[in-house]
Amino acid sequence: MHTRTLRKNKNFKYLVAMLLFFIILGIPSYIWTRKNVTTLAGRYNSPMTPIIMIPGSSASANRFDDLVKTVNNKYGEHHSLLKLTVHTDDSITYSGKIRANDTQPFFVVGFQNNADGYSNIKKQARWFNIAFNAIKKRYRFNSFNALGHSNGGLIWTMFLENDFNDSNLNINQLLTVGTPYNFEEKNTSNHTQMLNDLIKKRDKIPNNMTYYSIAGTQLYSDDGIVPLGSVDAGKYIYEGKAKHYTLITLTGNKAQHSDMIASNQFITIFHQYIIGNGVNNPNSPDSKQSAIASQ
Amino acid sequence: MRYTFPDIYNESMQVFFMRIQFNNKLEEKLILGTLKLQKFFIYRVIQRTLLLIFPFALFGSFVKIIQTVVIGKEGFLTDVFPDLSNDFIYRQIDNIATGLYNLSLGWISVIAIFGAAKYTAKHFNRDDQLAGITGVSSLLIIDYTYSKVQTFSFHPQILGMRGLLLAIILGISIGWIFKKTSRPVPDYVKLGGAPSVIERSFISAKPIIVSLLIAMLFSTLINVTYYAEAPGNYINALASEYTSKSPLGQLFKTFIFSIYTLVMSFFGWSGTYSSAGTEKMDTLSTVNLNYALNKHTAWNTPNPFTSSALYHAFATFGGTGAVLGLIIAILIVAKDEDFQTVARWAIIPSLFNIGSGLMTGIPILFNIIFLIPFILAPVANMTMAALAIQLRLMPPSVYPVPIGTPGPLIAFIGTNGSWQALIFSILTIVISVYIYIPFVKMAIKVKELDNLSLEEGVN
Repeated sequence: MHTRTLRKNKNFKYLVAMLLFFIILGIPSYIWTRKNVTTLAGRYNSPMTPIIMIPGSSASANRFDDLVKTVNNKYGEHHSLLKLTVHTDDSITYSGKIRANDTQPFFVVGFQNNADGYSNIKKQARWFNIAFNAIKKRYRFNSFNALGHSNGGLIWTMFLENDFNDSNLNINQLLTVGTPYNFEEKNTSNHTQMLNDLIKKRDKIPNNMTYYSIAGTQLYSDDGIVPLGSVDAGKYIYEGKAKHYTLITLTGNKAQHSDMIASNQFITIFHQYIIGNGVNNPNSPDSKQSAIASQ
Repeated sequence: MRYTFPDIYNESMQVFFMRIQFNNKLEEKLILGTLKLQKFFIYRVIQRTLLLIFPFALFGSFVKIIQTVVIGKEGFLTDVFPDLSNDFIYRQIDNIATGLYNLSLGWISVIAIFGAAKYTAKHFNRDDQLAGITGVSSLLIIDYTYSKVQTFSFHPQILGMRGLLLAIILGISIGWIFKKTSRPVPDYVKLGGAPSVIERSFISAKPIIVSLLIAMLFSTLINVTYYAEAPGNYINALASEYTSKSPLGQLFKTFIFSIYTLVMSFFGWSGTYSSAGTEKMDTLSTVNLNYALNKHTAWNTPNPFTSSALYHAFATFGGTGAVLGLIIAILIVAKDEDFQTVARWAIIPSLFNIGSGLMTGIPILFNIIFLIPFILAPVANMTMAALAIQLRLMPPSVYPVPIGTPGPLIAFIGTNGSWQALIFSILTIVISVYIYIPFVKMAIKVKELDNLSLEEGVN
């Protein structure tokens, strides 16, 4: 009786259409979800693409405070900053805070033992892995961009070759500034022990990563500390392995090794390639995709 | 049974009232209360404003389907049918859809403030066209970003559906400023002379300047405090960061934030949870997902009462407020042509959980009668879902669900195709339909009485 009155209802066809729609979409959804769960070890719906930065030797996690401040002011953006310091006993201390809904926060990882030298850098790479796993576990992002200043770039390279093998996680762009792949050696044909070690494991470099290396020069040869040839030696590791390898030579005012990250040229490059101006990086705050997501 | 009716209704209304049967005290109170509320000019202004934005909201919701479901990066159809994607055509459709969306649903508040200011000024017999345009300028000034990068840009959040409450309040205030600082516009038709444009402009010069200056003040405040963490930010942070270990604590938290979201959406503001499911997964959901992936099952996950297991899976079909239930209820019981037309048009967007057409068309927004089922239906669904999960009748939804997945399929996909969850989803839809039915009947009675009082000229 009840069904008969319902069938007489002129909206009956709409209700049936609705039901059909769900059945038609339900079947492929079922197949998809089965396949998705088995093939993907886990796809987190994370809109966050953090920028993870490692300072050079003898600098602390506060090294990039000014850079973050300048970027936020200059481009009218609101990136938050969390600084981690890994101590020699593998413990981590935090300072700063990630704002909720920040899609591109900055993480800076510094080390209590921030001394130079191959053995120290190896230790620092291990400590970085501890910090990286901590933030990965806490913030659950699926992709990130990276910056390494000086030896920070060496730590990134070691980390990518030795510890970074997570199929759920993508490194989109890496930018290094004055990274001495061959220490103080000017001649690229003389390989140091470290460079040889890094070249040996170059197959592990993620092949979907885009790499930008900046070398500063004053008087054609070095940035005051690191020789151009030593930065250039990075090509033996990255060329042909990373998706793209670009070497940028920076000269003029503030091209000195430690000053470079305060130079306007660097900040422009950093913003364009690492933060992204909405074209390179779909997750940047002013891109279209995130504008839709924020509605 | 005889009821005594307010004196404001005349003889013929009394007769009409007697034909309307109230089923119970609550219904009577609600209907008479709504009718009384509708006597306030502010309520009338809000209703007319919602009607004004309805076509744009409906159009925008169709574009939004294309944008999020069909071409979105994590959209339902792109995920489920990956072969459909073709870069070039996709980009073109994407660009067109973005433009259409941004200038329909994306700036719905600008249209709303025009309506609110215009109708308020008209009520006070002031220059309504100028009031409406002043409203638009004021909102855009308030929303203007002081950015060095983009020279002409606005905060997109306030222009869309989320800024509706602000726009309506602001519009009414501007209409009121017109009342306070200008004199009535002379009725040129009655006077028989052509209107002097200059005179007309100067009558309204004062309220325009006052409104724009106040807007400037707000604009500065907003831009200065933009860096500071707004209260909404705190609540979002609380919802995604605060984690309770006990299941009861989780349940409590999910319910509180769901009700908060529902109430806020009712007033055209934004809540914690979005119906599109775009917010960041909270830590508990991530723990659940890892557990489920390790054990290859969604059963017995450590945090069964997360927002994705309860709110997103069982309280959002059709959009915020489980309004798919309302659509079905209207299609089944409503004889009213207007309701039917809106419901039919809203079917397609609502299948993908985009409810803005229905929210403004019925309207549900600010409509006291629908406040109860708008909160009750989702809460009832969530309560039953929580019970079913607790009693091990179905697993909680823990797997990732693409954005814009049709509501009834969210739990099905989120549990990796559990039939119990699918059957339970259908059950919750049926229940929400039953919750909505008596309120649809009430809304129709209110509409009939209201139309009659308009015809009788009581208003």
